[in-house]
Amino acid sequence: MLGLRAPTSGQVRVLGVSPADAAAAGKIGGMIQTGGLPEGAKVSELIGLFRQLYRGRRSQADLLGLAGLTDLADRRVEQLSGGQTQRVRFALALAGRPELLFLDEPTAALDVEARRGFWHSVRTVAGQGTTVLFATHYLDEADANASRIIVVSRGRVLADGTPAQIKAYTSVRTIRFSTPAADTSVLLGLPGVSGVSADGDAVTIRSGDADATLPALYALARPVRGLEVGGGGLEEALLTLTSDDDGRTDGLDGPDGPPAPYGPSGPYSSPGPYSSPGPYSSPAPYSSPNPYSSSAPYASSGPSGLSYSSLPSSISSPSPTAKAG
Amino acid sequence: MIAFLRFEIMRALRNVRFLVMLIAFPVLLYLIYAKQHGMSQGLTVATLLLVSMAVYSGMGSAMFASGPQLARERSNGWMRQLRISPISTPGWFAAKLIQAILLIIPGLAVLIALALTYGHVHLAAGRLALLVAVLVLGAIPFCALGLVIGLMFDSQTAQVAQMITLLVLAFLGGIFIQWSSLPHGMQLIGKALPSYHLAQLGWNAAAGRALGLTNVAVLAAWTAGLGLIAARRWRSESAAA
Repeated sequence: MLGLRAPTSGQVRVLGVSPADAAAAGKIGGMIQTGGLPEGAKVSELIGLFRQLYRGRRSQADLLGLAGLTDLADRRVEQLSGGQTQRVRFALALAGRPELLFLDEPTAALDVEARRGFWHSVRTVAGQGTTVLFATHYLDEADANASRIIVVSRGRVLADGTPAQIKAYTSVRTIRFSTPAADTSVLLGLPGVSGVSADGDAVTIRSGDADATLPALYALARPVRGLEVGGGGLEEALLTLTSDDDGRTDGLDGPDGPPAPYGPSGPYSSPGPYSSPGPYSSPAPYSSPNPYSSSAPYASSGPSGLSYSSLPSSISSPSPTAKAG
Repeated sequence: MIAFLRFEIMRALRNVRFLVMLIAFPVLLYLIYAKQHGMSQGLTVATLLLVSMAVYSGMGSAMFASGPQLARERSNGWMRQLRISPISTPGWFAAKLIQAILLIIPGLAVLIALALTYGHVHLAAGRLALLVAVLVLGAIPFCALGLVIGLMFDSQTAQVAQMITLLVLAFLGGIFIQWSSLPHGMQLIGKALPSYHLAQLGWNAAAGRALGLTNVAVLAAWTAGLGLIAARRWRSESAAA
């Protein structure tokens, strides 16, 4: 989608134009995974170069500040640590004030503090109307920062939705309740139950099919009090989604599974990745009224083949921040 | 493109060690051999050697300005970052070309200064100007050659490939040893190399003789051919990257 790889068939349009044109016009900015910097340059010179290439759409101080590089401006790039280099690349990606910003594993080399600062800056940029799309292996980052997550495995879109919706993909539920003198072997025999633990009256059941487990539990005709059903975490959801392509995953799309946010037709069935108006109406965590647009660019971005992406603001929707084409 | 060019030159100039190494070898050779007496091809040894060393220095600078650095930046991902920036491919090539040409100037200046003082070379201003023009423009095919090497080899091997190419060009082209003293087969190879033709142009310019059109044509053909290869490599890499 950045135009770095030519499509084997068909064509890619980003913001209504070819990726190359979008890059030339500064509509898109990208922070690619393996991005070295040219030796012999200072941080300030490098950022200055990109400011000039993009005709000064952002000030030098703004870029240095967003990337947390103010103190490193006079440093030569070969003297920077991995995390600092990554922040420079972030600054370069922002220099054009792009409408769409791609970040491929943006926080891989950052320490905890830098990571927090980084996401703060990403939110700032998103708040200014830039759609941010990132690929990450840190599930908590996707959970905390994404308004929409697309799960890609082996080149296929497995799931697409808000973090909550993605988490709903996993059928594993934790059912907690208290009951006197629980018989764990009986509970283990309930439909869908994969694990039971009891601590006095407090019983915890892990179930792959809570809808089947609960009626059976009540059918035992014993007092059940304080029942709670907890959803699985994002990590569990992703493990469920990517574990295999038969069995469970298919079941999720079927009538027995939890409601799928998308039907069988994923975002790829629409004519262009950005052409379909977002189908969701749930409130977005960010300022833009419609947080969704569709695309899943990083089909095989990492060893596990997992990918999550986020679009804090939309370019496809008729929102105030949207700029069509 | 101008911003990019300025940026590239700035960081090349900062690489002092690289610049000194580029200049040191031809300067040293000049200091060793320029005091010899005698005439060859209608030129004093000091003048002949000025042209030889200037051609060598120019070839080396033009190739090293583009090749190994390009190979390194291809492998470390910087080129990918540039591809998604507004810099156009022709703009990038033009900047690299101009940068290579500008980088040969320090070596050229040092050698000419040495020749005029230490070597007691007397060249009329017109001839000197023509010589400089020949050497500067003659660096273009070598810049293209550097780009081809930088695009074909990885960061480890580009440096070695560059060095070997440079030595072959210098020896077979008749710059380090007289072309006429080479074995016949090597003479034929040497006569096809751009270094041979650039040296011929340089010596003729210094001697006040007419510049050979064949020499110019061969250099232009090399430039076109290498430029074509570089552009093709560049495109195939864009498609595969």
